[in-house]
Amino acid sequence: MTMKDTKHVNTESTNLYERPPSLSTGQSIKTFLYNRTTGAVMGRTASSWGKIGLFYLIFYGVLAALVAICFWVFFQTLDPRIPTWQLDRSIIGTNPGLGFRPMPPSENVESTLIWYKGTDRSNYAHWVDSLEQFLEVYRKPGLTPGRGANIHNCDFDQLPSPGQVCDVDIKNWDPCTKENNYNYHKSAPCVFLKLNKIYGWRPDYYNDTKSLPEKMPRDLKEHIVDLEKKNALELNTIWVSCEGENPADMENIGPVKVLPRRGFPGYFYPFENSEGYLSPLVAIHFERPRTGILINVECKAWARNIKHDRVSGMGAVHFELMID
Amino acid sequence: MASKGRLAVEEHGRSDSYRVATLPNVRDDNKTADGMYKSRRKNPKRKGDNLDDLKQELDIDFHKITPEELYQRFSTHPENGLSHAKAKENLERDGPNALTPPKQTPEWVKFCKNLFGGFALLLWIGAFLCFIAYSIQASTVEDPNDDNLYLGIVLAAVVIVTGIFSYYQESKSSKIMESFKNMVPQFATVLREGEKLTLRAEDLVLGDVVEVKFGDRIPADIRIIESRGFKVDNSSLTGESEPQSRSPEFTNENPLETKNLAFFSTNAVEGTAKGVVICCGDQTVMGRIAGLASGLDTGETPIAKEIHHFIHLITGVAVFLGVTFFVIAFILGYHWLDAVIFLIGIIVANVPEGLLATVTVCLTLTAKRMASKNCLVKNLEAVETLGSTSTICSDKTGTLTQNRMTVAHMWFDNQIIEADTTEDQSGVQYDRTSPGFKALAKIAALCNRAEFKGGQDNLSILKKEVNGDASEAALLKCMELALGDVMGVRKRNKKVCEIPFNSTNKYQVSIHESDDPNDPRHLLVMKGAPERILDRCSTIFIGGKEKVLDEEMKEAFNNAYLELGGLGERVLGFCDFVLPSDKFPLGYKFNCDDPNFPVEGLRFVGLMSMIDPPRAAVPDAVAKCRSAGIKVIMVTGDHPITAKAIAKSVGIISEGNETVEDIAQRLNIPVAEVNPREAKAAVIHGSELRELDSDHLDEILRYHTEIVFARTSPQQKLIIVEGCQRMGAIVAVTGDGVNDSPALKKADIGVAMGIAGSDVSKQAADMILLDDNFASIVTGVEEGRLIFDNLKKSIAYTLTSNIPEISPFLAFILCDIPLPLGTVTILCIDLGTDMVPAISLAYEEAESDIMKRQPRNPFTDKLVNERLISMAYGQIGMIQAAAGFFVYFVIMAENGFLPTKLFGIRKQWDSKAINDLTDSYGQEWTFRDRKTLEFTCHTAFFVSIVIVQWADLIVCKTRRNSIIHQGMRNWALNFGLVFETALAAFLSYTPGMDKGLRMFPLKFVWWLPAIPFMISIFVYDEVRRFYLRRNPGGWLEQETYY
Repeated sequence: MTMKDTKHVNTESTNLYERPPSLSTGQSIKTFLYNRTTGAVMGRTASSWGKIGLFYLIFYGVLAALVAICFWVFFQTLDPRIPTWQLDRSIIGTNPGLGFRPMPPSENVESTLIWYKGTDRSNYAHWVDSLEQFLEVYRKPGLTPGRGANIHNCDFDQLPSPGQVCDVDIKNWDPCTKENNYNYHKSAPCVFLKLNKIYGWRPDYYNDTKSLPEKMPRDLKEHIVDLEKKNALELNTIWVSCEGENPADMENIGPVKVLPRRGFPGYFYPFENSEGYLSPLVAIHFERPRTGILINVECKAWARNIKHDRVSGMGAVHFELMID
Repeated sequence: MASKGRLAVEEHGRSDSYRVATLPNVRDDNKTADGMYKSRRKNPKRKGDNLDDLKQELDIDFHKITPEELYQRFSTHPENGLSHAKAKENLERDGPNALTPPKQTPEWVKFCKNLFGGFALLLWIGAFLCFIAYSIQASTVEDPNDDNLYLGIVLAAVVIVTGIFSYYQESKSSKIMESFKNMVPQFATVLREGEKLTLRAEDLVLGDVVEVKFGDRIPADIRIIESRGFKVDNSSLTGESEPQSRSPEFTNENPLETKNLAFFSTNAVEGTAKGVVICCGDQTVMGRIAGLASGLDTGETPIAKEIHHFIHLITGVAVFLGVTFFVIAFILGYHWLDAVIFLIGIIVANVPEGLLATVTVCLTLTAKRMASKNCLVKNLEAVETLGSTSTICSDKTGTLTQNRMTVAHMWFDNQIIEADTTEDQSGVQYDRTSPGFKALAKIAALCNRAEFKGGQDNLSILKKEVNGDASEAALLKCMELALGDVMGVRKRNKKVCEIPFNSTNKYQVSIHESDDPNDPRHLLVMKGAPERILDRCSTIFIGGKEKVLDEEMKEAFNNAYLELGGLGERVLGFCDFVLPSDKFPLGYKFNCDDPNFPVEGLRFVGLMSMIDPPRAAVPDAVAKCRSAGIKVIMVTGDHPITAKAIAKSVGIISEGNETVEDIAQRLNIPVAEVNPREAKAAVIHGSELRELDSDHLDEILRYHTEIVFARTSPQQKLIIVEGCQRMGAIVAVTGDGVNDSPALKKADIGVAMGIAGSDVSKQAADMILLDDNFASIVTGVEEGRLIFDNLKKSIAYTLTSNIPEISPFLAFILCDIPLPLGTVTILCIDLGTDMVPAISLAYEEAESDIMKRQPRNPFTDKLVNERLISMAYGQIGMIQAAAGFFVYFVIMAENGFLPTKLFGIRKQWDSKAINDLTDSYGQEWTFRDRKTLEFTCHTAFFVSIVIVQWADLIVCKTRRNSIIHQGMRNWALNFGLVFETALAAFLSYTPGMDKGLRMFPLKFVWWLPAIPFMISIFVYDEVRRFYLRRNPGGWLEQETYY
């Protein structure tokens, strides 16, 4: 009935756990910071700190090495010029957006408003300067990687061979030139547009006048019809149109001219990250925008495989213009 | 028979058959200045706030004074009662005769405490910041980001749901006062101005003369002034289940034991009585117990303390990080709204939202498992408390013993025979054929009024219920086992005359016709107190022969009697006499009132001794407690000798350990000369305890490993519990009576008895033993220890994922990279994928024999300690964060953004205005595509956390053992692994998740980059634990064994 094994273990059971001495908060903080009896700082003695420090040093060292190995292996799978995933397999997808220049200063990164006073040089200097900076690389081919060595004078019938890049025509932008302050001083500013580069993306042109989309502005449709008669090859273009967003904006925006032609020539595509590749540009010249009022501008790029969505910026770009 | 509370019987009634040696010779009295108690009555306002007062022993003199003095003191009259005016005055002075419930916190305050306590406050701040951020965005931006609104709502919902949940948990408990009130009678019959009135019991006042009859409940503490066969059932107060007679005589200094007091809310079972009310309401014995039980502040349970400690720790980290990065964000020139959003992120990432729910579910699961093992847990937190228990104060009767008097020994033919006392009759058998036994058996069967109750034919003999007193029932059962049909034996030996037991004779005698048709003689059988029986005998029956009872035989008798008495057993003597047929022919008129037959010169046959034997499983259970470092203290109302005997037989006092008294006896020196430190065991009498101050009590508790407290009162039980707690022990107390309820409440865990327990004790307890068996407590302890270990594991698992949750925010702020992990995905981890695995750890088996180690030290063994934090945050968490970031950079790079490009890009990245952000391959990204990429990264980060959590879950299964040793047999955990993976896949691939939770489908290869990290977590921890096992107590163990 009685236990045989109790005698071995019952020796310790007198030692009930003693309540530790209670200290005031201030006192316990003090002992925590520096314990006089053990010489511990923050609860550990110097050797204890050293040991734990060394342990973590080694631990994190090994962890860092592991991360480094992982990255090294991973980088072996990357190609410096070709993204791993392209088009639909990449998250970038196949629906490019549009970008505009000049952009508001970087402190104001959330804004898309181009706002200046045409009469004040210093007031519009930012816009002109940032445009100039943006276009510099177009004007001086030597600035591009590869120093413009593989530039090819492309045309609709002279497509670049792989590795070659097309030259962007910068001569026919008048009045949107540097010399002319991009026409900002005349309150009829130029805004440059470019189509987002997507590696390997090929446009599906609207080159058949019979199937132009309904929403395409009428004057662009007419232009395409005209062009078809002159040079059908030039229909291999990603068309660009700019309009006011709302009916009021449409009135305020005035006539808009797209220079040097009404779109991005097809021979620039696909973009394959060739050395020295520059995006084709169009300059939007607002000829007589109403001053003193905010104008919402929406520009769209037109190709069969570009869908538009104002909110997400697919195939389009939105900015505001306000000229005092 | 509930022998523990045999407070009031020892000199009366049945227990007279006790040998004198078992009576305590030290008798305490309540010598305190008269009137002191009364003067306290006059200031009823003060009494409530002094619980210490209630802890004092009952100190009254109303039972000692003469009736005349009593009437004078209360200005009352035995025939007429109080005057109406006096009664009204008294009522106004003392208030109604009712139990006052303790002040209770209003429900809404409790609810608010749950709603704003713990993490809730932090999450409220988070939610509040979300709403502020949203409303500011809504008022300044045209199409504001709804994220903050949703996040705020989700956070608020989490807090409210958790709050309601814990409020519900809490509100279920504590109905002690209600259960007391159920015991209080409604009406009382009172004499006032000579008229007999029926009043509401509440309107009784001091000095009222009340009449009580059988079936009533006593309406207040009364001094009996007249009685007719009055008996009360004090079981609710003392645990004593036998009715006790009450009469006007003052018989004992102790108010609980004297005959002339009857107590509030006890039952009158027989007869009628008249009495003067001496105590009302809260001042009654019952009222004081109720006041103690409901008023005691029990403090936090150990696990609640641990959880608070842990919440403080985590909150500290969260606040520290939050504030630091809020300031850093300002210094780095962020907009204040951005800084607020960072703060939200850090708070959300830091708080393990699902953890409290996980803990609750884990405890609930254990509670269920315990319920299936006969431990019903009322208060969820008590599940763990039992595991931390370092001292168990156990009741004797019913818990350690079977609560059933059983014949343990017999003495006949000059030898002691051991009877089988086990519950299943598996013990030794004895020779049932010797003439000595036959004669003894015949007496025991015939001189016995007990009978089996009807309708129990299919029960085993020991389980059958019996009408009659406990000793006779024991004899009946013993004889039924030995002879078979006792009723048949009685029928064949027709009873012709009987003198029942009474306290002057101290014997019971009956005369039977012989069952032998050829034998016309009558048989006289007698049983009673052994020394009285022996006195009436001239011969003794030994070895089938009748011998003269000489001095030698008397010596043998005395030795046997002493030995059995020393075992704490209740001894009865048996004798018989065959009446000569010439003097007493058949049909002789025996006269019971004036015996016309010999009651002396009889033939002594033997002794039988009874005890309430220990339960079979108890010695093992006590041994298990010992090896688990738990001290088992017996606290009983029973006599020291019986208590000691039981303590020895169950191992509470282990073989070879002596008390001070034993040493003194062995060395033949006075007790005072023995060094108390030499004695490991101690048997403390309640009256000694009363004179001890708390220092002495501490000393006893500290220096004796094996302690038995006998003859204790409810208040003393409470003092013992407090003493143990003062020593730093976590105390479990078992009890069944109303009188135990204060101790049950005060204990860290009160354990009530499911079968024998009173309603009040069950209400006061945290746990109920459904089978009343001490052994079930041990199962409970095992489960409690297991859940503590498993909670550690569960928390370690849950906390680990905090680092990969926080670090993205820190990187976002410090490195200006696009956010690697969003708040929504953090919530998906905390409230989604981490929940089931964390809960499944509750099912984990113990790593080693948890009943072989000491109980945890509540002051140093924390649930969450710095080692756990260091492991979870500093080591595993860091590997996890590395995995997450690696996946993030892989996806960014594969889509075009090489790591170098990402640093510093945050502003442009998050700007809606920029529709053409260039990546490392010259591709230009619209805002939406970037965000899709970012959210894909969030999803992948999330998935990689799930993947590394696989390894974390497996390493958290064990703290020391290898997984190979532990195995993967925890199917709940295996399910958890599958579940979290399935949930992650579901969240990633379900159409529509991109809109709802901003989770995007991942390429299969993006699940892979986390795998090397998963493997390294597994390998690292296996190696660490291998080293731990190889170097027990080494540096690594000190730093990383949580």
